[in-house]
Parts: sequence; C-alpha cells; structure tokens
Amino acid sequence: MTSDDRMESMLEGIRETYNVPNETPREQMWTEIVARLDTKQTEVLDLSAARRRRAFGSSRTAGWAVAAAAVLVLGVGIGRMTAPTVLSGPAAITLGESSSLTPVEWEHLDRTESLLTMVRTDARAGRIDPATGAWASGLLSQTRLLLDSRDDGQPDMSDLLLDLELLLIQIVGVAETGSMDEARARTELELALRSLEEGEVLSRIQAALPSVQAGA
Amino acid sequence: MGDERAFRTLYEMNVDRIYRLAYRMAGEEDLAMDFTQEAFVKAYQRLDQFRGDAAFSTWLHSVTVSVVLNGLRKVDRHRKRERSLEDAAPVVEKRTAVEPGVRDRIEAAVDDLPEIYRTVFLMHDLEGYNHGEIASALGVAEGTSKARLSRARAKLRESLGDAMQEYVT
Repeated sequence: MTSDDRMESMLEGIRETYNVPNETPREQMWTEIVARLDTKQTEVLDLSAARRRRAFGSSRTAGWAVAAAAVLVLGVGIGRMTAPTVLSGPAAITLGESSSLTPVEWEHLDRTESLLTMVRTDARAGRIDPATGAWASGLLSQTRLLLDSRDDGQPDMSDLLLDLELLLIQIVGVAETGSMDEARARTELELALRSLEEGEVLSRIQAALPSVQAGA
Repeated sequence: MGDERAFRTLYEMNVDRIYRLAYRMAGEEDLAMDFTQEAFVKAYQRLDQFRGDAAFSTWLHSVTVSVVLNGLRKVDRHRKRERSLEDAAPVVEKRTAVEPGVRDRIEAAVDDLPEIYRTVFLMHDLEGYNHGEIASALGVAEGTSKARLSRARAKLRESLGDAMQEYVT
C-alpha cells in the first residue's frame, strides 16, 4: 500500500468522525438570527437613518478635524518658538480621533484607501488593472494580521477591518477570475463596487483618518 | 417582508452546508451555532446585492470562514488567558496513563495543523469543496489552495508517522 493509499484510507475514516455535527439546529438558529436582526432593525433596515447617523458622525468628525488642525497649528507655532526640533511623519500624528490608531494601522488604512479609490474608478469604467490583485492580496494579509492583533477595544475599527477583509477578498477574486472568465469577473466587479459604495467603506476610512489629512 | 422571505429561502438553501463547515472548523456545537448565526446576520445586511444570484453562496462562504477564523482566534486568546491564570501555580505536566488511540492521534494532528493549512484541509478533504470554491472563500489563488492542501497532508504524514500505517491495518 502506497503512502497516498494510506492517506486516502485515513481520510475516509476521519471524514466520518472528525467534528461531525448532528442534525442542523435550523429552527433554533433561525429564531436567534431573527431576534438579532430585530435588535439591529434600525441599523439593518433603515439605511437612510444609518446615512443620517454617518453624516452626523462625519460633521462631528469634521469639527474635530478643524479643532485638531487649529491645535496643531498653534502647537507647531509654540514648538518652533520653544524647541529645537519638530516631529514629522506618522509618529507625530497624535491629535484628533485618530489618536488611537497605531502608525501601522494608519499606514494600512491609508494604503487601502488608495487601492479602493483606484478600484472604484476602474470598476465604474468596467475594468480592473491586473496589478490590483497582488496589491489587494498584500493588503488582505495585513488586514487579517491587524484583525488578529485587536482586543476589540474599538468595535467600530474591528467592523471596518472585517468589511475591508471581505471587500479585499472580492477584489482578489475579481483579479483572479479576470483572466479566465471575463463575464464572471465583470459581475464580481459590480458586486465589489456595490459593497464598497453601500458599505460606505471609503467614508469610514476617511472618518478614521481626519486629523492625519488635516495635518498632512 | 419580501426581503425576509427571500432571506429565509437563502437560509434554507445554505444553512446545512454553512453549519457543517462551521462545526468542522470549530468542533463545538455552541460555537458552530454562533458562527453560523453571525454569518447569516452579516449576509442579511448585504442581501440586496445577492437576490437571486448564485454568487450569494460563494460570498456567504467567505463570510463564514472569516467569522469562524476570527471567532476561533478570540476564543483561543480567551482560553489562553484563563489557562495562564489557572496555571499560576507550578506547572505539573499531565500525562495520561493510557496512550491515546490511533484515531485520537490523527484528530489531534488535524487540530494541531496551522490555521491556513487546516482550513483548506477541512474544506477540501473532509467537506469536498473544490479548489475554486476554497480560493474564493479565502481570497487566495487556486494554486495557493492546492499548495496549502499539499502542505497540510505532508504535515499530517510527518506528525503521524507509523500511526497511519497502524490505522489502515
């Protein structure tokens, strides 16, 4: 018996025993899903309310950004008068709502925003750059590392990263299928564009980075 | 209302496969149920994108794998923290008096596979997904899925050694 035969026979055995569920608890899970959707009803079903909330969040964010920029200008002025050196680059970005972002997270969101902006432009034109797949794949790995390292102190950021993960999976998929099946790739590209726009992913990234942009 | 009806249909069509995959990956009924529910709640939020579209199943699998892997990482971190508190006293290595059976050894070897190999192994060899489906769910190329499966099997061969021979005889 060859090694492959032994492996096959072992697989047949554990297929029947390894983590095999009993019957699917369909009704029990359905009841729970409906209950969870009911508690999230306004978020899930009332998209206009969600948009209003986001708009309010954005204007509040914009307010913080303006305040942060003012403090930054004042700080730089005082700093120039009193200190011999001035910090620059991501390590100096500590004002406003992005103060809880690490430099790695900041850089990741910044790069992801660039990719998504490019994908959105391409998708609207009905095409995608072949190099996008490799770029998205790298960002996907980084997103997963960031998700893995989070302790959920900021659920909004975790939600954003989870949405980014799914979106990047879609973009990698589009790039992968693009060369083999153009029609399928076009459908997937449309889905990716809709996920991007309806999830307001770009606005959420921009909301997470206001003082960076103000200070850049 | 229409959305709910469409969603229920999609749920009925997909729940068995999704729950089965979640259970294979998580190994516990409560976790598998939580992960399945989470995946469908997320799916509902994007329902309008997929109505009547075969892409729904592919996308749902991506969500499920992502939810399960992230969930298992959280559970693992939580358990490690609990264990580190329990183990504040001097650690005494526990050994069972009886050697585990061959099947237990095989299952433990599967449990010990690195996450990226284990996921592909479970999906392909135990659940029968093809490499195209796995690649879509994980956001990797088909070639990567094939390479991970091959690595998973090699690792199992390596860690099981004689146990495989013993199992088939």
